[in-house]
Amino acid sequence: MAITFEQVNFSYGAGTTLAQRVLHDITVDMPTGKVTAIVGQTGSGKSTLIQHINGLLKPTSGQIRIDDFELTASTKEKELVNLRQKVGIVFQFPENQLFANTVLEDVMYAPLNFGATKDAAKLEAARALNRVGVSEDLWGKSPFELSGGQMRRVAMAGTLASNPSVVVMDEPAAGLDPKGQTELLSIVLELKKLGKTIIFISHQMDHVVAVADQVVVMNEGRVVAKETPRQLFNRELSWFQTMKLDLPKAGQLAEKLKDKGVTLSRRPLDLGELAELINQEVGHE
Amino acid sequence: MTQAIKIDNLKYNYNNDQVLFDGFNLTIDSGQWVALVGHNGSGKSTLAKLILGLIAANSGNIDVFGERLTVDTVHHVREQIGMVFQNPDNQFVGATVADDVAFGLENKQIPSVEMPRMIDEALSIVGMLDFKDREPHMLSGGQKQRVALASVLALQPKIIILDEATAMLDPDGRATIMHTLQDLKARFGHDITFVTITHDMDEAILADRVVVINDGQLILDGTPANVFSQYDVIHNNGLELPFAGELAEKLDAKPKSYLDERELIQWLSRLNK
Repeated sequence: MAITFEQVNFSYGAGTTLAQRVLHDITVDMPTGKVTAIVGQTGSGKSTLIQHINGLLKPTSGQIRIDDFELTASTKEKELVNLRQKVGIVFQFPENQLFANTVLEDVMYAPLNFGATKDAAKLEAARALNRVGVSEDLWGKSPFELSGGQMRRVAMAGTLASNPSVVVMDEPAAGLDPKGQTELLSIVLELKKLGKTIIFISHQMDHVVAVADQVVVMNEGRVVAKETPRQLFNRELSWFQTMKLDLPKAGQLAEKLKDKGVTLSRRPLDLGELAELINQEVGHE
Repeated sequence: MTQAIKIDNLKYNYNNDQVLFDGFNLTIDSGQWVALVGHNGSGKSTLAKLILGLIAANSGNIDVFGERLTVDTVHHVREQIGMVFQNPDNQFVGATVADDVAFGLENKQIPSVEMPRMIDEALSIVGMLDFKDREPHMLSGGQKQRVALASVLALQPKIIILDEATAMLDPDGRATIMHTLQDLKARFGHDITFVTITHDMDEAILADRVVVINDGQLILDGTPANVFSQYDVIHNNGLELPFAGELAEKLDAKPKSYLDERELIQWLSRLNK
């Protein structure tokens, strides 16, 4: 399901004297079956933007098309039920939202809520848990007995169990150990393989490079760039300083090398590319 | 040198049956900055809880500045240890930043005339004095953790334990906390002992000493340079080296010993001449 924002404006407290404009004239598309990363400093409007994708917030003006659904200021609350079944959101540190007695019950909650029978919900939950790699011997346990990485995956399964075609994630891999981060990012790529449209917010540029097809950069409520990671991270260094954005670690190190007189032929995106460039270009003169 | 924490032959089982620590020993000298690293579930946070007496060991001893941790001494031991936890949102009680720092002082029954000075001092050390009348929930994650650190500092602990205090922060917030810790280290020198529990090696590298644990076992213990020269051991225990270390491993021409980022860059720039 493709998502298109058309001239979307959003203000908190719209129509009151306290109105505070958070999103300015957003026009952007997030293509079907692709991974779109949304980046920008804290307060740039990223979270406000993603909450429009499943109608948690409605635009003050403009519209958002999610497949054939059209979200505008006048969309009624009860029309949103269908939308929410199609768009799942995984919030930051979703493990804080686990609540049921067992892992399985926790993941069954959403399908049950959307009207599935108990058996159907169980089936969906089992499929979602398998998809994120939570082994069956954990399903009967309390979610609170699990490790941080496992809890995160159970919480993701909770969103996936209603089989959404769009999955929105806020910092999916934050706070996990290196192995947990790698695993979480590979789940994102698995979901993409299943044809899902994925949107994720991240401050970790290395995560962006690892999974994103396109990057949307937000600054002060506006979209200031929309391009591939390769295009984005090739921009002038001063642009990143203005936007208060980091380069991926490999790019940061390449810039430090440049300061010491070692200039590589391009700015690398990740560790592998950095090592390759150094191996080819340094010390062979 | 005075021993800040001495853990001797510690045994601890999860849920009374799963063995975590089986004869664990670790001594931390006063004034040291020790990074305790391990993957999620390696036992590092449990160790912090045992030191604080939040959970009790099955057997073995923990001494804090020579005082044995027991049911009778636990309150006195805790007075010497400040703890900053992972989630910045779970550790606020005050309506303003200043109130929050005051909370700990009130618990310690500090005379109220002395409090404003102590609060200002603690907040200024972490660079948060300008925020003293703000509501904690309006702060960024990194600012919240600095306030949490100020609340701990106001109580003048001899030991500060940070349990994955930066894990939930964005890179900016993480950097400000690490800078704050380096400032504290420069300011208090040997008067404060730091234990930072983390799985981020770019953080661990700032410590004087790195202790790697896994499944309740001590795997490596040494200076950052020593520990990070053990590439295979680090990876076999679900961890990674700091970025520069990972890079060095992938180079055709490798430096002879472990280099930190600054050293590696220097080494590469010489190679190019």
